[in-house]
Formats: sequence, C-alpha cells, structure tokens
Amino acid sequence: MNNPTTNDSSLSPWLQGMRDAMPLLGGYIPVAISFGLIATQANFSVWEATAISALIYAGASQFLMVAMLASGASTWLVVVMTLLINARHVVYAPNLTPLVPPGRRWIALMHGLTDQVFALAHNRLPQLPMATRQGWYSGAALLAWVSWVLGTTLGAVAGASLTQQWPLLGEVMPFALPALFLVLIAPRFTSPLWFIVLGLTIGTALMLAVLQFSNAAIPVAAAAGALAYYVLMALNQKTGAEHGH
Amino acid sequence: MDTNRWLVILLCAAGTFLIRALPLVWTRRHLARRQNDTANTLPTWLGLLGPLMIAAMFGVSLVPVRQDWVGVIATLAGCAITLFSWYHSRTLGKPVFIGVVVFGLVTYGLTHLH
Repeated sequence: MNNPTTNDSSLSPWLQGMRDAMPLLGGYIPVAISFGLIATQANFSVWEATAISALIYAGASQFLMVAMLASGASTWLVVVMTLLINARHVVYAPNLTPLVPPGRRWIALMHGLTDQVFALAHNRLPQLPMATRQGWYSGAALLAWVSWVLGTTLGAVAGASLTQQWPLLGEVMPFALPALFLVLIAPRFTSPLWFIVLGLTIGTALMLAVLQFSNAAIPVAAAAGALAYYVLMALNQKTGAEHGH
Repeated sequence: MDTNRWLVILLCAAGTFLIRALPLVWTRRHLARRQNDTANTLPTWLGLLGPLMIAAMFGVSLVPVRQDWVGVIATLAGCAITLFSWYHSRTLGKPVFIGVVVFGLVTYGLTHLH
C-alpha cells in the first residue's frame, strides 16, 4: 500500500507545507491555550509563558516545567526532568537525515522538529522532489510553531474566558491529532508482520497513556514494537530454514 | 523578573534544541563516512523506530480529553470514519477534517441525548 498524497504543483513548497500542516492546528491550538492558561495561573507572566512556548516548544515537558517551577523545585531538577521528557526526540533527526538535502539551515530548522512535525515530515518528504523539501518543511514547521506560540499567548491573555465560552471546542479539536497520526500510520500496515508490530505498539502506548504514564508511553511502546519486530523476524527465519531442510 | 526562572527556560530551550539538532549532525557525518547510498547505510533499528514512534504517538493520542463512554464512542467513530475516508481518498487533510467533524457531532449528539 502506498500513500499517494496529492502534490499541488501550483503551490510553492512553503504553502504546500503549510497546507499539509493545517491538521496539526486542531491539536496544537487548544493545548497551547491550556498551557498559556495554566502558566498564568502558576504566576508566570504572559511574556514568560510565550517565551517558554517559543524557545522550548515541546508540549508535555512545558507543562511539567511550569508545575515544577511553581512548586519551588530546584533549577537542576527541573532542567533534567524537562530534558528527560524531550529525550525521545533524539531519534527523529536521524530518520529524516536521508530524506533531506545537505545544508546548514537544516540544523536551525530542527528547532521545529516536534513529535507531530516529525510524523508529518517522515511521511511526506519521500513523496516530494528533493529541491522542494526544505521549503515544504520550513512552511509546515513554521505554521505549527506560530500556532503553538500564538495559542499560548491567547491562552495566557484570555484562556479562562475562552474555555468557559466554548467548552466543547477544547474536547473536539484535539481529535485532529489522533486522526492525523492514523492517516500517517495507515499506509504502514503492509503485511501481517507490520499489522502485529504496529498493533502491539499502538496498544502498549494506549495502555500506558490510560495508566497515566504518557511521557514514558512513546519510547517504551516503540521499544516494545521493535522487540516484537525482531522476535517475529527471527521466528520467521527459523521457520523458513526448517521448511527448507 | 525572576532570574532563576529565565535561567531554567534558557537551559531547557538549549538542551531541547541540542537533543533535536545534534543527531542530524552526527547522522550526516556517519553517512558521509560511509559514502554509499544513504538509505542503506542507516542501522535497521533506527529506520524501524520512525514508524514505531508514530504508531506510539497515535496510541497515546487516542486517550480522549473526555474520559467517559461518550469520549470512547466518539473516538471509535472518529477513527473509523477517518480510516474510511483515507482509504477512499488517500489524502491527508480531508480524512482528518471529516474525522474531527464526526468526532464533534458524536460528542455533541451523545452529550445532549444523555
């Protein structure tokens, strides 16, 4: 199964990237508004909340950082815990490296490499001509970053009244993220092996998230899936060898 | 202005950026040393982690904001229609949009029926 997502040649790579990143907004804006609201409730100024989103730009770890700083935790403990949560990002760039052309600008562009932008780029970059990939990634990453930063500012300034006025919006819009991940992962179900491995990974992550281990869920579930992949491959080779004799 | 607070923000920002950017530099050096077809010189486990991380993100994101039977039914309905729409269109934006609309309608409908 392949995923021939439409490439609109009439759009510039930047605009095409922004168009592809539009579904991210449904997930980013409500969460960014919540972050802005929580940060100001924890006595952070609007500027501080906005700076955290602009400079760190990593959802879950920002919530933890603000909560720990508000509770008076030590500087180094806050820094170490925040970076531990973000450590999973270490495997994203190596997966994108073969897909992107050389150039120093890519180093700066890695600031925009969130979970969602990685998932989108990993799926879309192979479908694009090499010459347009930097423009596409820049457009997609910029739209996601701007929505996160502006959403935080909005939440810090008017989050309380917004959530009171449209309570259902905060429940509905975040569904854009699982819908996007589903569309990105669906083309990978190409064989019984991948059905089992991906199903196990999704199930493990869901279970850990339900048990409130959301931060550990992504790396642990991915590791479980990788283990299952190698075990099944070994079993498959063993069965093949036995049938061969 | 709380200096300690800004110190934490700047350290976390620098650390997070390095976590994202340094592996790009390292992988480029690794690939340059090999000087072969880039797709074939990355370790298998690393290439495997890409789709698995996305699958794990999907699993985590499946937990709805509203954790009751309305949230569960709306999530199932939203996923089913998203998958159906993707299967027929093979596009990115349309299935997500339709999925969110159905998720919202189911949430709204069940909330008001209840």
